[in-house]
Amino acid sequence: MIHLENVSKVYPNGTEALKKLSLDIRPGEFVFVVGPSGAGKSTFLKLLIREEKASFGKLVVNGQDLMKMRKRKVPYLRRTMGIVFQDFRLIDKMTIYDNVAFAMRVIGTPEKAVKKRVKYVLKLVGLEGTEKRRPNELSGGEQQRVSLARALVNNPELLIADEPTGNIDPERSHEIMKMLVEINKRGTTVIIVTHEHDLVKEFGGRVIRIADGEITHDAFLPSEYHPDTPKGTDDEDETKEETV
Amino acid sequence: MKLSSIGYLFKEGVKNIWNNRMMSLASVIVLVSCLVITGAAALISVNMSTLISKVGDDNQITVYLKRDLSDLDSVKLGSSFSRIKNIDSYRFHSRNDVLKEYQKTLGDNIYESMQGKGNPFGNEYKLRLKDLSAYNDTVEAIIKIEGVEKVSDRSDIAGKLTKLNYFVTLVGSWVVLILAIVTLFIISNTIKMTMYSRRFEISIMKSVGATNAFVRIPFIIEAMLIGLLSGLLASGAILAMYNPIRSAASGIIGMISGSTLTLEEIWLPTLLIMSGIGVLIGLVGSFISISRYLNKEGGSILGK
Repeated sequence: MIHLENVSKVYPNGTEALKKLSLDIRPGEFVFVVGPSGAGKSTFLKLLIREEKASFGKLVVNGQDLMKMRKRKVPYLRRTMGIVFQDFRLIDKMTIYDNVAFAMRVIGTPEKAVKKRVKYVLKLVGLEGTEKRRPNELSGGEQQRVSLARALVNNPELLIADEPTGNIDPERSHEIMKMLVEINKRGTTVIIVTHEHDLVKEFGGRVIRIADGEITHDAFLPSEYHPDTPKGTDDEDETKEETV
Repeated sequence: MKLSSIGYLFKEGVKNIWNNRMMSLASVIVLVSCLVITGAAALISVNMSTLISKVGDDNQITVYLKRDLSDLDSVKLGSSFSRIKNIDSYRFHSRNDVLKEYQKTLGDNIYESMQGKGNPFGNEYKLRLKDLSAYNDTVEAIIKIEGVEKVSDRSDIAGKLTKLNYFVTLVGSWVVLILAIVTLFIISNTIKMTMYSRRFEISIMKSVGATNAFVRIPFIIEAMLIGLLSGLLASGAILAMYNPIRSAASGIIGMISGSTLTLEEIWLPTLLIMSGIGVLIGLVGSFISISRYLNKEGGSILGK
């Protein structure tokens, strides 16, 4: 699903944000990416969604070689994944329904199918009945669930969440995390960037720690939600450090 | 792009005008103001040129024929005028017609005494020229015709009108050009501000996989509709003010009323040109401004 081989990112000002990163993320994995601020986590995500292009190395996401990808093909890559942002990134002028439906309209889905699917996804995230409301009428937790619904509406194989609980209270954070686990159980690969260690410990899964642009830890952390490593992975062998 | 998407994008463009109504209103106000000023300047310039051109048309010259030239030869001489290219039209005035013009001034007794052989006037021709700037060359050609005594000297008026026409055209063109540049500058800034306020929206669209065309089309439709609306409002304002201003100007300079363009003559061209310019400004302005954001990605769109 995701393959990085000696991937480096050097910004024009000379900052080396990522240094020869190599890793594989397989379908169905639940992955936390952790690390201190400025470690390179955001750059890592930006490379995956092709917001930035890697300077060196080999990077394949959902079967597409991002190093050779032309700019005009980038939208088609993004349609194979769902992205959840810390600041929700909802369009205030659109209703909740339109915010979610937008991701389907972008790919030219007929309106009838849009209606059916949006209704289903909003129900899935517990927001049925909010269709006609605007984002600013909802709480932070609810807005993040709308963002999650939008990320899920096209049934992506890969869900990337950048600090999804960063702007919401602990109780709602817990809810969002449970939803992400549920989504993962349905077969979607989930990658979460976070600095909330308590959530990482509670929900477990594969934990990749990036510090100073390098992977300093990559191991499976068992938990109530993820007692075993997903089939076909051998994360235990990749442990570089014992602690998260 | 699928057909259903085109319908959706058009609807989005229309909806965006209402959703961003404050910005739309600001854009319409700026655009209407600029179009009214530029349009008014253009109309004044066109009217001045028309006025001068009509004054020039009315400025006929008189060709005096030799007194000993018989009436028959005088009429025959008329064909020589048709060989001079700059002569638009010519009209024969017999010596009796000329004398009749003076009947009131002379009084009936003297007029009667001047009939027949006592008529001191010769036959004449009244000519209209096509191009006043070629006045001197034309007069030179007329003088050379056998039987012509002299030509009424209007070279000073011809020269003045030619210079005035040139001046008005030149100044009018510069005023319109400068106003058009100022208009483009103001409008481009308005569009940039609109796009800046919508950059967040653009970044979200791109993050969910919208192609550049998908992001661009609603913005362009929105800008073109705003341009069209502004063009219509600006033409409406100009046309509404046209007749009152024309009447007021006629009160000051009498000849304006008959020599300038009427509302019937200008309403359709004004409406079409102003609306066309409005739509074009919307199209080009939005296309250029949005490209700036489409070439960026994610956080850089938001200036992070």
